[in-house]
Order: sequence, then C-alpha cells, then structure tokens
Amino acid sequence: MALAHIRPRAAVAALPLAIPVALAAGGLLVPLAYLALRAFEADLATVEELVLRRRNAELLRNTLLLAAALVVTTTAIALPLAMLTVRTDLPARRLFDVLLTLPLAIPGYVGAFVILAATGPGGLYPLPRPSGFWGALIVLTLITYPYQYLSLRAALLGVDPALEESARSLGRGRLAAFLSVTLPQLRPALLGGGLLVALHAIADFGTVSLLRYETYSFAIYLQYSAAFDRTYAAWLALLLVALTALLLAGDWLLLRRLRLARTGTGAPRRRRPTRLGRWEPVAVAAAALPPLVAVVLPLVALLDLASRFPAGHAAGLREAFGNSVTAAGAAAAMSVAVALPIAFTAARARLPGAQAVERLAYVGYAVPPLAFALAWVFFTLRAAPALYGSLPLLVFALSLHVLSEAMGPVRAAVRQASPRLEESARTLGAGPVKTFVRVTLPIVWRGAAAGGALAFIGAVKELPITLILAPLDFSTLATRMFSYTQDAMFAEAAPFALAIVGLSACFVGVLLWTERTFSS
Amino acid sequence: MIVTRQLRRFGLVAVGLALFAAVAACGDDGEPTPTPQPTSPAATATQGAATPEPTPTVGGTLVVYAGRGQNLVEPLVQQFEKDTGIDVELKFGSDAQMLATLQEEGDRSPADVFWANTAGALGRASSLGLLAPLDDELLSLPAAFVPDSRSWLPVTMRLRVLAYHPDRLKPEQLPKSILDLPRFARENGLQGRIGWTPTYSSFQDMLAGIIAVHGEEAARQWLEEMKALQPKAYPSNPAMLEAMRAGEIDLASTNHYYVVRFQRAGYSIAMTQFEQGDPGNLALVTGAGILKTAKNVPAARAFLQYLLSEKAQQYFVGNIGEYPLIEEVVPDPRLLPLEQAVRQGPSIQLEQLPLERALQLLREAGLN
Repeated sequence: MALAHIRPRAAVAALPLAIPVALAAGGLLVPLAYLALRAFEADLATVEELVLRRRNAELLRNTLLLAAALVVTTTAIALPLAMLTVRTDLPARRLFDVLLTLPLAIPGYVGAFVILAATGPGGLYPLPRPSGFWGALIVLTLITYPYQYLSLRAALLGVDPALEESARSLGRGRLAAFLSVTLPQLRPALLGGGLLVALHAIADFGTVSLLRYETYSFAIYLQYSAAFDRTYAAWLALLLVALTALLLAGDWLLLRRLRLARTGTGAPRRRRPTRLGRWEPVAVAAAALPPLVAVVLPLVALLDLASRFPAGHAAGLREAFGNSVTAAGAAAAMSVAVALPIAFTAARARLPGAQAVERLAYVGYAVPPLAFALAWVFFTLRAAPALYGSLPLLVFALSLHVLSEAMGPVRAAVRQASPRLEESARTLGAGPVKTFVRVTLPIVWRGAAAGGALAFIGAVKELPITLILAPLDFSTLATRMFSYTQDAMFAEAAPFALAIVGLSACFVGVLLWTERTFSS
Repeated sequence: MIVTRQLRRFGLVAVGLALFAAVAACGDDGEPTPTPQPTSPAATATQGAATPEPTPTVGGTLVVYAGRGQNLVEPLVQQFEKDTGIDVELKFGSDAQMLATLQEEGDRSPADVFWANTAGALGRASSLGLLAPLDDELLSLPAAFVPDSRSWLPVTMRLRVLAYHPDRLKPEQLPKSILDLPRFARENGLQGRIGWTPTYSSFQDMLAGIIAVHGEEAARQWLEEMKALQPKAYPSNPAMLEAMRAGEIDLASTNHYYVVRFQRAGYSIAMTQFEQGDPGNLALVTGAGILKTAKNVPAARAFLQYLLSEKAQQYFVGNIGEYPLIEEVVPDPRLLPLEQAVRQGPSIQLEQLPLERALQLLREAGLN
C-alpha cells in the first residue's frame, strides 16, 4: 500500500543510503543465521552439559569484570590525554597524536607474548611477569586505550568552543563549564569508545589466554580447537552475541533522544589552546608514557628476543606487505563507506529499525572471528560460489568485522552534523550531492578519517578471518608473523611485526595530518 | 519523507528475509553428503593405484590445506614444485581452523590435500568421512604408525618429554612414569611450580594415552592429584617454556622439538623421558591425507610420496628437529635413534586414542 504513494524522486534519493545499509544489515545477519543453523544441530542434553554449566558462568563473570574495569581504566587514561593534545599548547602535538594511537598497531597476542618473554628473572626488564586479572587488565588497557582516545579526540575537535565560552561568560568556572557543557557533548564519543573497549575485552582470546586469565572466549576456543566441534561452539558464540546485544541495548538507552548538533555556521572559531606553562614537562612526560610502555618496550623486547634466536630466512615480506595494504586498505574504505550511511540513517530517521542497524554493526565484532569466517565459507559456497576464495570476499568480510571500529568515530561525527544546515543548503538550491560534499562532508570528515584509521589497523592485524577467507597463496603480514611466532621463530617474525607497526603508524600519521590541514 | 522511510524499511526487511531464506534453503546440505557425483575421482584413482603401473603423467595444480606452519611448509613445497612441475596452492591455519573450513566447504571444497600437525585432526577428518582411502604403496612408505583407517599417511613424529629447569632439578631424581609425577612434586615441594597446557592438543592426546594405558579411573585420579598441586596453565608451549626460563615453573610436560628450539637459542632448559612405554612419552604423529573432493589425485599422491622422500624427511629433521619416519634418514644426534624413539611411547593405535573421554575428564575437572 505504502509503495503506491512513493514519488519516484524520493525513492531515488533514498537509494544512496538504503543500498549500503541493506548490504551491511544483510551481511551482518549472515553470521547470525549461520550460528543459529549450527546451533539447531545440537543434542539438547549435550547443550546442557557443555553450554549451561557452572564453569561457563564463572568465565562469563570473569569477562564482565574485565570489560567493566577496562572501560574505567581506558577512559581514565584517554580523556586527559585527549584534552592535552586537543586543548593545550602541548609541544609536538601531531607527533603525540600518532604516538598515542600507535599501541593499536601492536597485535595483542604479540604484545602480550613479548612482554612475558621480557619480564621475570633473567628477562630484559626487571619487572614482575604480569598475569591473572590485573595482568590482563594492565596489558589490555595499554592496547585498547587508543580506541577511547581517538573517539574522544575526534569529538573534542568537533565541539564548538563558542558553547563553552558562553558558559564561561555567564560566570561558570573552567571546570564547571567543562562538566556542564563539554562533557555532555562527549557522551556519544565516550559511549562509542567505551563500547569498543568493552567489546574488545569480550572478544579477546589471544591476550587473556597468554596472561592466564580465563574469559568466556576461552570456552569457545576450546570447542573449536580442542574438541573440533562447531555445533556447541555455535551455542557459546550465540550466547556471546546475546551478551553483546545487552551491552548495545544499554548504549542505546543512554544515547536515546540525544541531539547535539551545532546550529551555527559551519566554521567554528578556532579555540585558543590552554597554556601549559610550567606544567609542560609533566604533560609531555604523561603523554609520552603510554606509547613508551605499550609500543617501545614491546618492540625492544621483540628485537631482543629475535636476536637471541638463530635467524633463518624470512620469506615473502614484500609480498605480504602489498597484500596487507590491499586487503586492509580496501576493507577500511569499505567499512567507512558503509558506516556513514548507517550513522546517517540512525541519527536522522526516527525509526527504531534504523537504530537497530547501527547496533547491528557491532555484531561483526561480537561474533567470534572463526565463526564469522566459517559463516562466510558456508554462505558463499552456496549463494555465490564464484566469489569463494576471492579477494573481494575477504575484503567484504573484513570490512564487516571492523565496521564497529569505524562506527564509533563516524557516529559521533554524524551526530554533530545538524540536518538544519543541509536543509538550508537545499533551500538555497544546492542538489543533494552538492549539499553532501559542501556541507555535510566537511563536518563528518574527521570522524570518517578516525574511523577509517581504526578499521585499517583492526583489519591489518586480523587473523582467523584472513586465514580462512583469503585467496590461496595469499599471505599477509599478520598471517606470516603469527606462523613464525607459533613455532617460536622470533627472529623471522620480527620484520613482519615491525612492518605491521610501521604501516599502521604511517596510516595513522597520514590520516591525522589530512585532518589537520583540512580543518585549518 | 515518511514514504521513503517506509521504503527503506521495506527494503531492509526484504533483503534480510531473502538472505535468511537463501541460507536456510541450502542449510540441509552443509555436510559432505553423497551428492550425485558419478564416481568420486579420489576413490577410483587410489584404488587404481593399488595395482602397480607406470606412473601417469602428473602435473597441473594441487591445492593443499596446511595445519602445519607456513615457514616449514613453504620451502619444501617450492622444492616439490621445482622437482615435479606441479603448481601447489596453499592455505594455512591451525589444524582446527582447516578442519572446520573443510567441513563447511563440504563437497564444494577446492582442496586436494589436508596436511596436519596432529593425528587427532587427521583422525577426526577421517571419521567425518572427509578423507579418501590410500593405497598400499603409499602406506608402505612410513616405518610406523599407519592408522587402521588407512586414510592418512604418517609423515613425521614428535615425542612428549618432561622439560625441567636443570639448576633446580636433577635428571636422576625425576619420576619414571607420568603417573608418579604428582607424588614426586608433592615430596619435593613443587606445589605451584609445575606448568601444563591443558588446552593444547598434544597434552590432551597424552591424557587420552593415559586413559588408554592405565584406564579412565587412573587418569581421573592423576588429573585430580595434578590439580591439587596448583599447576600453572599456559595456552602454548613456547609461552610455558618462557615461563620456565623466567623461573615461574620448574617442571613441565611438553613436546621435544620446543625444547630443542629453546636449547638452540641458549635457554637453560633440559628434557628427559619416562621409562619406555609410558604414556608420558607418547609419540605425536603428523601426517597428510587426500581429500575425497580432490580433483588432482595423481598430484596429491605424488605430494604425499614426496613428503616421505629422503629429501623431505631430512628437511624435517634438520629444520625443526622432528623424527623422520623412514629409516634411510638419520635423526639429529641430539635425538634418539628412530627405532628406539618409536618404542619410547606406549604402543597404541593413534586413531583409537580416547580423545573424547580425555576432553570429558578435563571438563569434569573444570580445566576446559
């Protein structure tokens, strides 16, 4: 009935949004459908024994504890750092932007392994070996705080200084103005970053297992790896997805009815940076500490480890480098291209369904990567066999997997872009494309760039999906590095690890640079 | 505006439904069921090879799914390509990842050969009906460990060993059987000083070996006694040996080649074995099988044959310190002579290792 009323023009105008949204939604439903299918093969008595046992409840409790603590610690680190680099005259701010984001480039399983190899008696660093809850919390904090940092940083850059200045001129103190005006504006970013951090804690297996802290992902790993069983692993994975859904529902409740758009012109005044004065050395030290501990120490430890093991021939570095750039680059671009329309639909359309699609983006991250990859094996071979084992399939699956990483900054940016501005542009005669390019894009650009950087770094270090869905003979930096470390061939693994870090660093650097020149 | 939103919603629902219907519609053929494939090429070819005949011209492309490390596989495969003119395409992952992929692919799998790290994965592939039976000629190549199913070829062997910190323990005081390990640890104050890898395949194989040799009750009791010693659990053997280096543990059951690698790197870690026939010395066999989906069976056969050639076997010994499975190759002087090494472990059919029961015991003990 509704269809009969559609004006052709309106339908065409909706397509640029509808197609990517439908693509992503469909793509994210595939793994869920697959898991449900596998779960139905189960024998119920065994489900009870394997899935509903007390031990899993303990593992779940461990997971939640870690996720909650991690959100607190990463925010405690990221908020002051973001304030420092965005709002003060901290020297070499561009360098710090890159350095502070760099820990993301260290894959958790590598970071944890080299840290463990370099500590304890006889180790490179005279430090106790991290382990258990606190060990996992410390290591994961160092690896994941940049999610929160990037998210907050993008939001802080987008906050109109005029609002806070108005509050100051109305007699509020500096702290009061920050708390009552700026902090509420940061809420979507805080939630987006916190959500990613929490999801990371839930999904992580490599790091926590090395630090001997057992979480729920551990149970899933065991089913696939030790018992070679897909059926009960599917049950456990579905429960993990349900847990994620609860988190997302919480996030949705907190964000509901939040409209933070700026209604002024598209050119906010540049904020005058706060002078650090004699606090400058302290600030520099504080900003240098996280990258030092999370990047420099592990890299030095890795090189030390490499030098102790007899070196062999590390083959295929150049090829793996090219493959990584291609796959992760395309996946990052695609995830941003999908995240933008989703964020727009969610922010503008007053439909519960639209909000749900935005939340669905996180499913790509919540489904254990191995199950995610298997779902695509299953689906492609039946629906589009020609695509199986092709690069486009790998790129598509990777882009969905990292979609949630791109989503946080993109969604925060889109929420700051007012629809009124676009409406004005349209009233003034600009077409939809021109309006998007001239009005909307300059506002959401920062979020898109930050989202793309995150998606790239996530994709470049991803393992199970790449291993299973990559074309034959297609090795990436991450797959080769992992293969070497598995066999304790650290000398051979080192160049690949360094290439991953270097590549991610360049990428982050270029993106942050683009962002600066664009805004000035 | 409202109308477009409705259209959007309609589109979403439609796409979602269509996708779900597509998945559900083809859901019932997820397993490798006997779809009308006139004659499985793998079956006919391997049967044909049972009667010796001049080698057919072998060539074309071969797809190998490898659970073994890339760094180990690649140089050997390159040599194979050079020697035979067969083009090999590779996919890498863990045994479990490759096995799960093969299962999902079912009849549509592009793979010819599954080359695995563990007999467990191969046994599982065999029981799932993924592997084609091999001919006598191929199976006559290895010196030992040919499985009853005759569906995969043993390639190399590793041994479970007891690794210890030589500054803290002396080899002569160490127990003669894995079953005595808990008592020994209690008497020597090693509570909290033992490492293990309860989630690692080789450890689980060893537990299955204990069940096979001493029975389930003894294995359960052994696990309970070990648990009472508060051992430290590690996800991988390199991580465990790093912990031994760091003084976190003094004693750990592991695979021999890890110790060899760490010794070559100058780590102070020693290894010993239990008495002959003890499940603590279990032989861990790697191997390869030809898949029922194989399209180039002659090349797959040539590849398996190549893995047991002197050239390849020497490569396994030299590069990663594994035991060869043909007598013509001399193992590393640091290792035992082949015949003695084969006798070290308990004599049990690897495919009959009660792995399911071992996993069950570990679950009951809350270890996985």
